[in-house]
Amino acid sequence: MKQEIIQRLTEIVGQDNVYTSLEDLYCYSYDASFVKSNKKDLAGIAVYPGNAEETAKILKLANEEKIPVIPRGAGTNVSGGTISVGDSIILVLKRMNKILELDRKNLIAVVEPGVVTGYLQSEVERLGLFYPPDPASLAVSTIGGNVAECAGGPRGVKYGVTRDYVLGLEVVLASGEVINTGGKTIKNVTGYDMTKLFTGSEGTLGVITKIILKLIPKPEAKNTMLAVFSELEQASEAVSEIIAKGVVPATLELLDNIYIRNIEEYAKVGLPTDAEAVLLIEVDGDRQILAKQIDKIEEICKQSGAIQIRIAQTPAEAEELWRARRSAFPAVSRVRPTIIGEDVTVPRSNIPAMVKQIRAIAAKYKVIIAVLGHAGDGNLHATILTDETDREEWSRVEKAIDELFIAAVKLDGTLSGEHGIGRVKSKFITLQTGEAGLEIQRRIKQVLDPNNILNPGVMFGK
Amino acid sequence: MKQTLASWEKEVIRCIRCGACQSVCPVFKELQAEASVARGRVMLIRAVINKDSDLTDGFREKMSLCLMCKACVANCPSGVKVDKVVEAARAEIVRKQGLPFLKRLIFRFVLKNRWVFNFAMRMGSAFQGLVFRKGPHGQGMLPRMPLGLDRRRLLAPLAPQSFRSQYPEVVKVEDAKKRVAFFTGCMINYIYTDTGRAVVNVLKRNGIEVVIPALQNCCGAPVRINGDYESARDMARANINVFLREQVDTVVVACGTCGLTLKEEYAELLADDPVYAEKAKKLGAKVQDITEVLVSLDGFRDKIQDEFQDKLLDGTQGKGLPFNTELSRPKSPASIGGGRQRAVKSSMDSTNIQRGLNPPLNEVSFKVTYHDPCHLVRGLKVKEQPRQIIRSIPGVEFVEMAKPDTCCGSGGSFSLYHYNISAKINDHKIEDIKQTGAEVLVTGCSACRMHIADGLSRQHAGVKVMHTVQLLEMAYEVDR
Repeated sequence: MKQEIIQRLTEIVGQDNVYTSLEDLYCYSYDASFVKSNKKDLAGIAVYPGNAEETAKILKLANEEKIPVIPRGAGTNVSGGTISVGDSIILVLKRMNKILELDRKNLIAVVEPGVVTGYLQSEVERLGLFYPPDPASLAVSTIGGNVAECAGGPRGVKYGVTRDYVLGLEVVLASGEVINTGGKTIKNVTGYDMTKLFTGSEGTLGVITKIILKLIPKPEAKNTMLAVFSELEQASEAVSEIIAKGVVPATLELLDNIYIRNIEEYAKVGLPTDAEAVLLIEVDGDRQILAKQIDKIEEICKQSGAIQIRIAQTPAEAEELWRARRSAFPAVSRVRPTIIGEDVTVPRSNIPAMVKQIRAIAAKYKVIIAVLGHAGDGNLHATILTDETDREEWSRVEKAIDELFIAAVKLDGTLSGEHGIGRVKSKFITLQTGEAGLEIQRRIKQVLDPNNILNPGVMFGK
Repeated sequence: MKQTLASWEKEVIRCIRCGACQSVCPVFKELQAEASVARGRVMLIRAVINKDSDLTDGFREKMSLCLMCKACVANCPSGVKVDKVVEAARAEIVRKQGLPFLKRLIFRFVLKNRWVFNFAMRMGSAFQGLVFRKGPHGQGMLPRMPLGLDRRRLLAPLAPQSFRSQYPEVVKVEDAKKRVAFFTGCMINYIYTDTGRAVVNVLKRNGIEVVIPALQNCCGAPVRINGDYESARDMARANINVFLREQVDTVVVACGTCGLTLKEEYAELLADDPVYAEKAKKLGAKVQDITEVLVSLDGFRDKIQDEFQDKLLDGTQGKGLPFNTELSRPKSPASIGGGRQRAVKSSMDSTNIQRGLNPPLNEVSFKVTYHDPCHLVRGLKVKEQPRQIIRSIPGVEFVEMAKPDTCCGSGGSFSLYHYNISAKINDHKIEDIKQTGAEVLVTGCSACRMHIADGLSRQHAGVKVMHTVQLLEMAYEVDR
């Protein structure tokens, strides 16, 4: 990067908020995805603006000089959406980390993008309110990143995803102009729904500098149960039946046999290792109705052929049931050093078919693929256990992943339920959008970012 | 211990870059730059292994910015041993580039040679008044002149007489029911001799004979953590020889770092040594923190558990208690009638001592909070024992601070090289301590004690800092 540009960026954000050393820049060449930029693709600078005004100045400069800008929060996305692309500016929004308003009367939060989602949740819950989206990374990921990626999480089945809670945004455009979308009202049909357009835009259309979020009252209580099935179809049938009967659990987590075996080996939680599926079910709501919900679910699981049902009687027992789910990751991480979590998603009723496809693909390419899913919303995390230093195996893994995407789309599903397209899946996007569908998105991008400085390569490929 | 950095490749690729370490790394909390968190360090190390990068000054700087607090290791979903990998990177730097002069002098000449160390410390003790002035509230001392140390740094003065020189090699008790060896560590020997004295007194009180081998030297942790494996191995072998010679089943430590070094790191360092690999394991199996030794004595009871039990039997608080805990064990005769605390004063005569660590003898009326030293809680996995001891002292009101197991920012020599960051991390700890309203901060490591005392002095908080055994010693000695 030209010294003059570095100088001007430093003037905007201050000496303490720019990073230019080789070692520092190297650490923006990866995120939580398995893609990593090459050494030659290191950014020219990382800048940490403190407010929207500084962000606007940075974008204006970058736009004039046609320098790519990669917006970044905690760098926890798993689609390669925040990695450097050569002589670019890494724009980290983490300093903008204030909760500006928590409005109990209107059930609204106004926050800066760098607020850590888990922190926001704990602050909100102190007021008896609730912000439900719960991506696995919530202890570190930022709300700005969650909005930009439209993050999901286990609670999606009942509470929806980030998109369902964003009422309005302040966005800095590539030109440096600042716009506001939506607002503080639940109902708002003034103009196009620009809020939804920017939510999930993966940093390609603008930089989010303020977010207005919808909150809901915190559920009074919750309870947890676990059901074991010898066949996957039975578990899947139970899931459909539970929802058809009008019970919507807060989470409905499915673990397949590979997970079950490894969890049992690792954490000894008492799961039968020959079982094909475990459902971990959490219900929440008013205390009075919880027992009724649990009874109903128990009955459905029995009818579907559950071979074991455990219902937590105390919070400690609930914790013990969750221990199985929480051990899932450490348990499989012992198997192979590299773990890739995909997130193809299919309509609920197609889960058994998709799992069968995953098994077939794993067998075809001789790779280990375990499945852990948010069964209530059809979001399957196909977990590939591999070793990235083994090049031959790695090439088989890549082929297997390609086939996973195709299989999901064929089963009326989507390439990505909650991880985003990023740089990882851009070559597959037309499988789902079609050429015309992608072209119209390209034109929207063109209008908002004519010089293609914002996160180039993401979604549309190179 | 793996020889080269490259041999750690299998470990570093286990980092899936999820970034979970960002929520617990104290250094990252202050700096916020990606290169200052575990994920960044691991990726930089990987770059060096892949030859994408070299052992540059920048790399060295990033590697030095780790407190070795193990918070990331405990929080890592894949369980990547970040501390070991960073240590291996530091060792690679030392191997390829050597040690800077000052470190070379200290590690290879002073720490390794007990007589030099002793001499230096004796001289230091005599002349420290020339370069240091007294700190506020009469605690500690501040540099009078630039020493390469930050002039705001409150250091504890060197003791006029080292701990080991004040005691015979064997501290005898009549009818000893147990015999242990005491590994003092440097800070207890040269600075906090009061902690050492408390260890000996408390053990004596409990009928335990204490051997303090004169030939022991520094455990080697500061040397190893800075990457000088060669010296660390020499020091390990020397200590192994000294302690395996003693006829004891237990080697007591009163410092988490020394403890972890003796218990686990020696075996790792010497894994390839044909003679010492086994010996290191043998020594490791004997190592226990002083609080572990005390709570495992016959007759030690956790006050909280007893109170729960009393209430259970009284029927006053039966409902809502968790089940299946140790609460269901039979009630011990001493606590029947709830008169345990009243019985306390009458048990002062020495005959009772043989019953083990009875409820400590006298009341100490302090509000106390406890800081978990990193290497004690995440290294030796000692968390409950000190709390059990503190709670069992009559009169003590124990208050837990927020996040008691977050690093105090010391990191041993980290606080000397990166004082500003170290002090900022410490500020959070001091704030958490202040929030409790405690008059005494108890901890289990001398380095934490010094750093927290420094922080308290900077913030003019009148909180006393001491080791767990010192509080216990007070309970034994007050009114005497």
